Amino acid sequence: MIRTAGLTKRFGDKVALHGLDLWIGRGELFCFLGPNGAGKTTTIKLLTGLLRPTAGRALVGGHDVVRQPIEAKRLLGYVPDRPFLYDKLTGGEFMRFVAGLYRLPEAGLAQRCRELLERYEIGHATDQLIESYSHGMRQKLSFAACFLHHPQVVVVDEPWVGLDPRSIRAVKDDLKERTRNGLTVFMSTHTLAIAEEMADRIGIIHRGRLLHVGTVPEIKALASHPGSLEDVFLELTRDDEPAVEPAA
Amino acid sequence: MSSPLAALLWAAGRVQRHRLAALARESRLKIAFVSLSALLLWLGAFALCRGGLELATSLGGSLGEAGGAALADLLMARLLSVFALALFSMLIVSNVLVAYATFYRAEEMRLVVQSPAAPAAVFLGRFYDCVFMSSWALAFLGSPLLLAYGLERGAPPSFYLALVIFYLPFVVIPAAIGALLAMVLVRVLARLSRGRALAVGAVVLVLLGSGLRATVEPPDLSDAATIRALVAAMAHTESSLLPSFWLARGLLAAAAGELGQAGFYALVLVANALLAVWLAAVAAERWLYPGYAVVAEGGGRSRRRRSFAWLDAALRPLPQPGRALVLKDVKLFWRDAAQWSQFLLFFGILVLYVANLGDAGAAYRREPWRSWIAALNVAACLLVLATLTTRFVYPLISLEGRRFWILGLAPVRRRWVAWQKLFTSAALCSLFTVALALLSAWRLELEPSLAAFSVASVLLATAALSGLAVGLGSLYPNFEEESPSRIVSGMGGTLNFILSLVYVLLVVAAVALAVHAPTLLDAGLVPPWIVPAAAAWVVLLSALATWLPMHLGARHLERLEL
Repeated sequence: MIRTAGLTKRFGDKVALHGLDLWIGRGELFCFLGPNGAGKTTTIKLLTGLLRPTAGRALVGGHDVVRQPIEAKRLLGYVPDRPFLYDKLTGGEFMRFVAGLYRLPEAGLAQRCRELLERYEIGHATDQLIESYSHGMRQKLSFAACFLHHPQVVVVDEPWVGLDPRSIRAVKDDLKERTRNGLTVFMSTHTLAIAEEMADRIGIIHRGRLLHVGTVPEIKALASHPGSLEDVFLELTRDDEPAVEPAA
Repeated sequence: MSSPLAALLWAAGRVQRHRLAALARESRLKIAFVSLSALLLWLGAFALCRGGLELATSLGGSLGEAGGAALADLLMARLLSVFALALFSMLIVSNVLVAYATFYRAEEMRLVVQSPAAPAAVFLGRFYDCVFMSSWALAFLGSPLLLAYGLERGAPPSFYLALVIFYLPFVVIPAAIGALLAMVLVRVLARLSRGRALAVGAVVLVLLGSGLRATVEPPDLSDAATIRALVAAMAHTESSLLPSFWLARGLLAAAAGELGQAGFYALVLVANALLAVWLAAVAAERWLYPGYAVVAEGGGRSRRRRSFAWLDAALRPLPQPGRALVLKDVKLFWRDAAQWSQFLLFFGILVLYVANLGDAGAAYRREPWRSWIAALNVAACLLVLATLTTRFVYPLISLEGRRFWILGLAPVRRRWVAWQKLFTSAALCSLFTVALALLSAWRLELEPSLAAFSVASVLLATAALSGLAVGLGSLYPNFEEESPSRIVSGMGGTLNFILSLVYVLLVVAAVALAVHAPTLLDAGLVPPWIVPAAAAWVVLLSALATWLPMHLGARHLERLEL
């Protein structure tokens, strides 16, 4: 469902992402790990069409995100790390607004919005302005809105910030259940324990280059000494040079 | 850092420094264009003021040599007094809005409020921002008149020095009064429902309007006593208790070389400025934080929110996602009191002006006054609209800000987002501008053809000025800034305002030609096709002003990386 070929992004003379080749199948939960400034957010922005690649291409559901952005975006859902939403809309109004953007039919829409808001435990705040929401509530609203149009691919950028332990558990269960039903999830996170628990496969990026891709046992096997995913991650991404290397 | 106040001022200084550095990084072409346009605008205003003051002198002189000279002096003095009072009133209104944004809506206040700094220190640490934000335009727009005045009176160099000395205390007083009013209004109005707040505002406006009408009896310009009546009417602007009076008297004294008296009024202004700031700081110590808490909790009560179901139903014929985008923009605008209150204030003042036209004497309904007033009304309406589109429409794209990811990820062409904003803003603004144009035509008893020409010009100009604002707003978006007034004060906003003014001048020239066409045709000064040519000019110019910036802006938005 997600494929990138030679995906590269330069900012001036800096290369933020260097020829990323990746393939993620249907129903797979892929965790993208890397230190700060490694190129995770750049990759996510390229996959979601918020940035344009300098070279290479990214496909979502077989659609090129640059050449067929509308088709790709119809399949795509996104939950950002910092949920900037419209403060002067209520939660319910925000859901209807998103439904309008995706041209969802009116029939059954109110019911679906209600179900999603209840599922993410913010049904009680449907009529409150988003400006009164806590960070965690905004994050939950982002999740609810993300699943409104039945996306086939969801990109999640560090979704755990602001969520309480109970909500984290609920979101993890929800994502696992949806992947069993065919949803593809591309998740960037710094929470290695969650990645270890949830990921079908893990990709480790460092200084704009994809270092390794594999299942959790495969990644763990890369360590010089047996240890946790955290130990392996720290060993693989040991930083002796600047995070972003200059262009060749 | 020795104190919280010092820390606040130091941080503010650094922020201004970084803003200047960011300005220097803007396109050289854009900087050159904006600077040149601003210079031309200033020179144009200066030439206009010079001509106006020469006319005022000659009007006084035309009434007889001995009494004429004295009357000319009096007329000039009164003009200065009216100018100072108008500036003072405008500064108070703009300072209320700036203070509200600075003390209650600014992002950084969240951090500052929870620090152990005393509220008065926080107030003083941010007060400079109010003074600067509300008064820089005064320096730009007021200087042509005051310099022209000095030249017309043959003032000594000390007059020009006095301009600089009087400026700061004069702008500080309304800034402190505006901040005080903002603190009081937040305490009082935030606890009222929107309907009651609007009702209170309307009552205040009506009381002010009727009070003004009772005080200032408009002169009839048709008789020989015109100038004397005008001078007498302007006497109402003079009160020894007003800072505008101290400014006017001080400047008059400086222009006459009476330095002792000028110094006295300068000291009166300084003393009162210090008193006003002290009073505002004392009020801030008591009211700033409680008011901030009220605003932060959304007015201190649970409001029943307007659902806009009627608008949703009315927009049903619109396809999605257009409907969703329009609804969202209308709701965001309505729920932001700082936005709609300013919008209504602009048009409220204009409505008062137009509604009073009919009371200004029968002479206004005779030629050539009527044609001039019809053209000037269109000019006033479009100038207000140019200000409005710069202030409210230009920042629309930028205000999507860090939320732009929502639109960026939706299966919607970004160019359509820009076009939707154009349609929404043009439709909403035209409700007001067309109503004003109709009201003006009715009060001036224009012939149907001239009324239609005025209304059509206003309608086209509304689309063009909105197109210019949305187009340039898309071309130069600033997604980092949350405050509309700061977005507008950037280079893109300035460019938009200047281009809007140029457009208004070109349209008003055509309208003036059209409304004077019958007189000019009788005199054989213009060819018979002048009216169709003027109409074609307005249509073509408006089409170009709408399409070109929109085309460039929408294309830029489509390619924009977030």
